[in-house]
Amino acid sequence: MTTGLETGCALLTGNATAAWAARLADVDYVPAFPITPQTEIIESLAAWSSGGEIPARVVNLDSEHSMITAAGAAAATGCRAFTATSSQGLLYAMEALYTVAGWRVPFVLVNVSRGLAAPITLEPDHNDILAARDSGCIQIHAETCQEVLDSILMGYRIAEDPRVRLPVIVNMDGFYLSFTREPVALPDPARVRAFLPAFDPGAVAFRASRPIAQGVGALGGPLYTHFRHQAHLAARNALTVHEEVATAFELEFGRSYDVIERYQMDDAEYVLVMAGSFATKAKAAIHTLRARGRRVGLLRLRLIRPWPAEAIRRELAGRRAAAVIDQNISPGLGGILFQEVAATMISSQSRPGVMRSFVGGLGGKDISPGEFMHVVDVLENSGPDEPTEPELLYTEADWSQIHPLLVIAQTPDRHSNEEAAP
Amino acid sequence: MKVKREFFRNLKELPTEELLAPGSPMCAGCGGLITLRLVLKVLGPNVVVVNAAGCLTMLAAYPYSPLRASWLYTTMGSAPAGAQGVRDALDVLIARGRLPASEDLRVVVLAGDGSTLDIGLSSMSGAIHRGLDFHYICYDNEAFGNTGFQGSSSSPFGSRTATSPAGTTQHKKDLFALWLAHRPPYAATVSAADPVDLAEKVRRSMQFRGPKLFVGLATCPPGWGIDPAQGHHVGKLALDTGIWPLKEAVHGEVRHTYVPDHLKPVEDYLQTQARFHHLFSPQRHDDILATIQNEVIGYWNEVRHREFPQTLLGELSRADLR
Amino acid sequence: MLRVRFHGRGGHGVKTASRILGSAAFCTGLQVQDSPVYGAERRGAAIAAFTRIDKQVIQERGLVLDPDLILVADETLFTDPGAALLAGVEFASVVFINSARDRVLLATEYGIPCPVVTLDLSTLTTDVVGRGASFSATLGTAACALAGITDRSVVSQAVQKELESLHLTPELIAKNVNAASQVLDHLSAVSIRERPQGHTASPIHPPIHLLGPEGTPVIYAPGNSARRHTGSWRVFRPEIDLNACTRCGICFAECPDAAIHLNEKAFPVVDYDNCKGCLICETECPVHCISEQKEVRT
Repeated sequence: MTTGLETGCALLTGNATAAWAARLADVDYVPAFPITPQTEIIESLAAWSSGGEIPARVVNLDSEHSMITAAGAAAATGCRAFTATSSQGLLYAMEALYTVAGWRVPFVLVNVSRGLAAPITLEPDHNDILAARDSGCIQIHAETCQEVLDSILMGYRIAEDPRVRLPVIVNMDGFYLSFTREPVALPDPARVRAFLPAFDPGAVAFRASRPIAQGVGALGGPLYTHFRHQAHLAARNALTVHEEVATAFELEFGRSYDVIERYQMDDAEYVLVMAGSFATKAKAAIHTLRARGRRVGLLRLRLIRPWPAEAIRRELAGRRAAAVIDQNISPGLGGILFQEVAATMISSQSRPGVMRSFVGGLGGKDISPGEFMHVVDVLENSGPDEPTEPELLYTEADWSQIHPLLVIAQTPDRHSNEEAAP
Repeated sequence: MKVKREFFRNLKELPTEELLAPGSPMCAGCGGLITLRLVLKVLGPNVVVVNAAGCLTMLAAYPYSPLRASWLYTTMGSAPAGAQGVRDALDVLIARGRLPASEDLRVVVLAGDGSTLDIGLSSMSGAIHRGLDFHYICYDNEAFGNTGFQGSSSSPFGSRTATSPAGTTQHKKDLFALWLAHRPPYAATVSAADPVDLAEKVRRSMQFRGPKLFVGLATCPPGWGIDPAQGHHVGKLALDTGIWPLKEAVHGEVRHTYVPDHLKPVEDYLQTQARFHHLFSPQRHDDILATIQNEVIGYWNEVRHREFPQTLLGELSRADLR
Repeated sequence: MLRVRFHGRGGHGVKTASRILGSAAFCTGLQVQDSPVYGAERRGAAIAAFTRIDKQVIQERGLVLDPDLILVADETLFTDPGAALLAGVEFASVVFINSARDRVLLATEYGIPCPVVTLDLSTLTTDVVGRGASFSATLGTAACALAGITDRSVVSQAVQKELESLHLTPELIAKNVNAASQVLDHLSAVSIRERPQGHTASPIHPPIHLLGPEGTPVIYAPGNSARRHTGSWRVFRPEIDLNACTRCGICFAECPDAAIHLNEKAFPVVDYDNCKGCLICETECPVHCISEQKEVRT
């Protein structure tokens, strides 16, 4: 097998890349629990660990709730921990996620996005990862396998920085990245060690010579508020720390990252706002649209917690229109990120005259080039007083595909909009 | 009948060192607290207590902690996983030469019966199954005490809880047997009402690597409806009526460490507690009382057959109760 | 609006007292809010409860920080700074103390700036209801009387209703109703003084970020809980007669709180700063050399 270490580049899936990143980060501890489409990550690490290729201990836990607790407890003891989950697993771990973020312990969790049950499904959208957005964990959303690797390495530097000290979740889309091979530059381990030295927990770790109590109760509003708000301030610091870490990363490895990615933004009148691997599809659509003379750009959200408000405000100021394409749905509200982008722009005098919300790509449904064309058409034809109700990106072709299935299942044909008619 | 002891023969031999300082926010006369205090005396100071939500969670409430040892509060359902993370981390750091072995700690889970037998059952089962080297201390007050004494799956048959006002109709889960099904190196039932037996077992357990259970009957003044001053007395009645057997299992081999020559009637124990008052007043529930008594007699007859087949301990019957 | 705050220890019945006042006021057609507050501490520790009464809909919630009436079930709480008995006393018209002592003396001793009213509810409750009974009925009735709710049938109904909800036996409820009635014989309405209205904007403290784990609740001083001084919970104190003590070690072994240590001659010594007064030591002493003494603090 060619590991790519010799050539510096390898053809790797997102899952294999994540495992390589953990290996390069010289992690000490990997608590694990299987869930599709993440399982390959922990399988790779388990194979390396049992073969003596890495010193990390890999332990199968009994659930994601236990797994996140164990990762946090190991970090609280001074280990560099790594783990991975997906979808239902992330939700099952939700209580523990808030708990370990409250402990302010650093580790990296890879979430392989997958739509949430019910109905149970396998392909991605972002409702799982966005359900964790208020937990206190930092969130980095990757577009490519390379970005998965780089974000994990950068993630440890950010998580372990005393100004932050929070878990970092690196998100990749299931199937679209997790099972997709593409070329990935694997950095030299010695240079990774220079970029990412061993974790030093300082005075807060469990030691015989220095008993401490961690994770204790804080009763009473003023005390609780003080500690809870510290997590907010720490998460905000991650914006600055990300910038410093990105600079160091670029110096070491030559690839540069910002909290957001600008694509064809310089002269863009119309901006698409997205996160994750489907941004690649948007880039292709923009290429086509540009060839037709339409000035369209992409603002890709990389850090979602902390929320890069300043960068978003800067990039959207002065544009004619912006569309947020959410791969998630908050029933009764619509797209989640649209709300956050709109709230960010509300105080800007030069905000886009039109801001529209689209929901697409749920459960891995494609967002086709034609759907991107539709989004830009809507932006061009909207006035400032248009409603901000979200529009579902769902084509005639999609409907013709599933309609026969409803017939096979003998679904009774009742439409609420027809019943409501007189 | 008591077994021979190797490490502690009487109270005077208990360690005088206190690892649990006074000033905790626990109720006056808390049976869980005395159990923890005695266990920690023997385990010594190099301990990290990993706690599941329950009464004793409030031991460490900012800015005070009574523990002269380390503490990590996790969640109600994942303390054994927290213990796993701490234990593994210490092992890895020592193995990789980043931590001197002198900094090592014993990892102790501290959980109530509700956490142990209900919400945290799979986490505990997983940790035993993985052979985690830890002590598991369950302070069993036989209900969710911290939230106002709602029924748990450890609540004994007939007892009143906030969610079974007419009396619990289910039977208590057997934590000791549940552990033995996982084949741990050591498991024990203990009671603060017999501190020497408790200390002896903790000391014995320290020679084993792997999961070690201590389940202690934790008298609970507000939940059980007893005067705080009567806690120890009620705990002793639990032993003398045979309701709470003291036993241990070394690699699955069970032996009872206290075998009462004569059992007191269970009513002597039940009548001390408001949670059983409805069995006696306004009218007696002889059927329920007989069920409880017969279960105890049946249990001890089985013990006599299994552990003392050669002795003169004959079959017990109701007539033998004193 | 009348704002009433009750102080006691867990087990004294201050929550039920606040509800008896609430129910009585509700019966007379007034708007009412009543609520308790729980801390980390358990039975024996200081707790508080609140009742608000008004003719209009009440537009306040939560703790009563500016009480018109403060009722104290247990005088020993004055020595417990955590109980904060006198928080907002500058707003109070009257402080009621369950005590047999002289009210002027109490006011001087505890630095109470407003009039003090006393009644020995402990003796009354013990005599009429029995030893170890809670003060819920007598304390709640004291509050009713001071608040001007003196209609015997209204107060009796409120006591009856609240104690029934706690599943007390009919006999015990009848005794409590009787005790409540005797409280009405001794206390009458007090006049509540007007107070200035209006608030000004509060100064806001700028957020300060503490680095790394310092921003989390980590305790670096384990074993520091002795600074809590849970000895203030104690109602009865154990006294050890060392002349009769055989140094058997039972009291030392069985103290849940490690509030008994052994001196160099192996005699037990009680840490009165922290002994909660559970009295397991007294019950278990085989030679009965430990006795209980009613706690008196000054």
